[in-house]
Amino acid sequence: MPEPPPSDARRSERRATARDAAERAADHAAIDRLSADLLPALIAKLGATGLGELEVREGSWRVRLRRPGGSTGTGSSRDRRAGEKGSPDRPGERAPGERSARGHGHHSDSSATVKVDHRSVATSPAVGIFQPRTDLSTGTRVRSGDRLGAVDMLGIAQEVVAPADGIVGASLVEPGDAVEYGQELIVIEFVPVPASTNGSGS
Amino acid sequence: MFKKVLIANRGEIALRILRACRTLGVEAVVAYSEADKGSLPVGLADEAICIGPADARRSYLSAPAVISAALVTGCDAVHPGYGFLSEDEGFAEVVAAHDMTFIGPPASVLERFASKAGTRQLLGAHGLPTIPGSDGMLRDDLHALNEAERIGYPVLVKPSAGGGGKGMRMVRTPRELESVLKVCRSEAKAAFGDDSLYLERWLDENRHVEVQVAVDRYGHGIHLGERDCSVQRRHQKILEEAPTPALSEAARADLADRAVRAVVAAGYENVGTLEFLVDARGAFYFIEINCRIQVEHPVTESLTGIDLVTMQMRIAAGEPLGVTQSEIAFDGHAIEFRINAEDPAHDFRPGAGVVERYHAPGGPGVRMDSHLFSGYEVPPFYDSLLGKLIVWGPDRATAIARSRVALDELLVEGLTTNVEIHQALLASETFLEGRMTTNLLDRVGSAAFLAAAARA
Repeated sequence: MPEPPPSDARRSERRATARDAAERAADHAAIDRLSADLLPALIAKLGATGLGELEVREGSWRVRLRRPGGSTGTGSSRDRRAGEKGSPDRPGERAPGERSARGHGHHSDSSATVKVDHRSVATSPAVGIFQPRTDLSTGTRVRSGDRLGAVDMLGIAQEVVAPADGIVGASLVEPGDAVEYGQELIVIEFVPVPASTNGSGS
Repeated sequence: MFKKVLIANRGEIALRILRACRTLGVEAVVAYSEADKGSLPVGLADEAICIGPADARRSYLSAPAVISAALVTGCDAVHPGYGFLSEDEGFAEVVAAHDMTFIGPPASVLERFASKAGTRQLLGAHGLPTIPGSDGMLRDDLHALNEAERIGYPVLVKPSAGGGGKGMRMVRTPRELESVLKVCRSEAKAAFGDDSLYLERWLDENRHVEVQVAVDRYGHGIHLGERDCSVQRRHQKILEEAPTPALSEAARADLADRAVRAVVAAGYENVGTLEFLVDARGAFYFIEINCRIQVEHPVTESLTGIDLVTMQMRIAAGEPLGVTQSEIAFDGHAIEFRINAEDPAHDFRPGAGVVERYHAPGGPGVRMDSHLFSGYEVPPFYDSLLGKLIVWGPDRATAIARSRVALDELLVEGLTTNVEIHQALLASETFLEGRMTTNLLDRVGSAAFLAAAARA
């Protein structure tokens, strides 16, 4: 909720803090607006367009909606994952709208409680040539939805994203390899993360 | 000839193309959607590549996905089969731009024949009688009503793109026309991504007769006779046969001859089919051309002994036809039955599910082109064609007798199929006498037709 406006006295004495408070208030107002107005509209848009992902930035906030199962969309990839492990509450299993408003710790799941096994695999969103992010190496901590690289499909870069929070494990293909749709590319090892450390917002 | 062909299709036609590639000693890669991972073409292929999710728009209909797959697998040609991208000139152009060959007419030819109204005009100018129709595409409802008035009711509303009966409706009154335009537009948009419609005069008692042609890059063309596709349900062909029982031998030869002369003159290339409506007096009207291999091509293969898919590949590879019209002989009679996952008892509702047991019929003159196998799960995302039973006999009566045996022998357990309607056709006097017209099943009602056959 937006904070109450600071008193005149405090504003004059501690201008910097007041500015912080104002920014926080603006952030909170932005979050309210995002969840009340923007998200339903974005969810509807995502559903209508058949796009895999939508991202909106506003101020220091970013909202990214991705279909279940990463940017690959559709129920089939979701089914495939569910089939692999039968866990109903993976991030990929949630409704599109739930994957949103990243950047607040309280919004993230506790990975340790959600994941039943200890790894997940980022798959190819397209058929083409795979290039991983160059700054990525084994052990890099990633968040669900983080870009891990891209598959070039006839000049169109299709993002490969982390299916879950964790650390980068083994690469199953080499940079520059031809990959098919749905092919397993990079293992993400799960690590228990306390919810409080997840925050990256203001 | 090509070294490696990407098969950008699914089901029975993917299998048919795979077989053609092997016959020619050409490597083949089957491109498949996630939903077809367990399909027979994928299982039989030396190489297969997943190009996208079940949604055809992101797999079989995605030009970037198909071309990317062809490039990363080192193919030098793409066979689009029928439907999907098979008549998309934009796709053909991009394939060529990547130094690969589109197995079909070149993009420039597809473009010339892309508009149905334009093609009627073009081939009309080259001597084919055409059916009266609207002046170009329908701009709006008022234009449609005025054009329908001018042509005369009943009229057929048709989408400019695609085929297969989608977006098509026959209407008898202005009021009916007004009420179907919106539906036709949305159906056409959904099926072909293009909602332009045009009108054609509807001949109440007509037969659908089409001529198979093949034209090489050097302007040498032949026809491979005609096929009668008058057995239709809601503008969808369900049974095709050749020769047509509707025309005399002289009339058939005249029709086929005029068809091939017109397309050669108009600059067509590769295999193609010209569709005609034939009225009760035997007059024929050109309606449209299909610039691809057709579902019913095996009917022609059965009569001529010519492999149309390998011929299509040879032409695309730049080879001359290597056969003249006088060398084409037509032998006997052939009937193709489209076996669909449809429930005749519930208005032919399409079905999906596991084929628990499958047995293909055999015997003299019997050919089954199907991707089914016991245990195969038919996905719900695509059309309902399970396979095609093609039966040949030295004459129509023998072909019909063999067809009855073959249909009885065909076993598809776990799914409801439309075999019943085929069996009813083979018991129907109208069919046996060769008097089926395109709207007969709809006019009588498929349910009534089935019930009549059960009594007979």
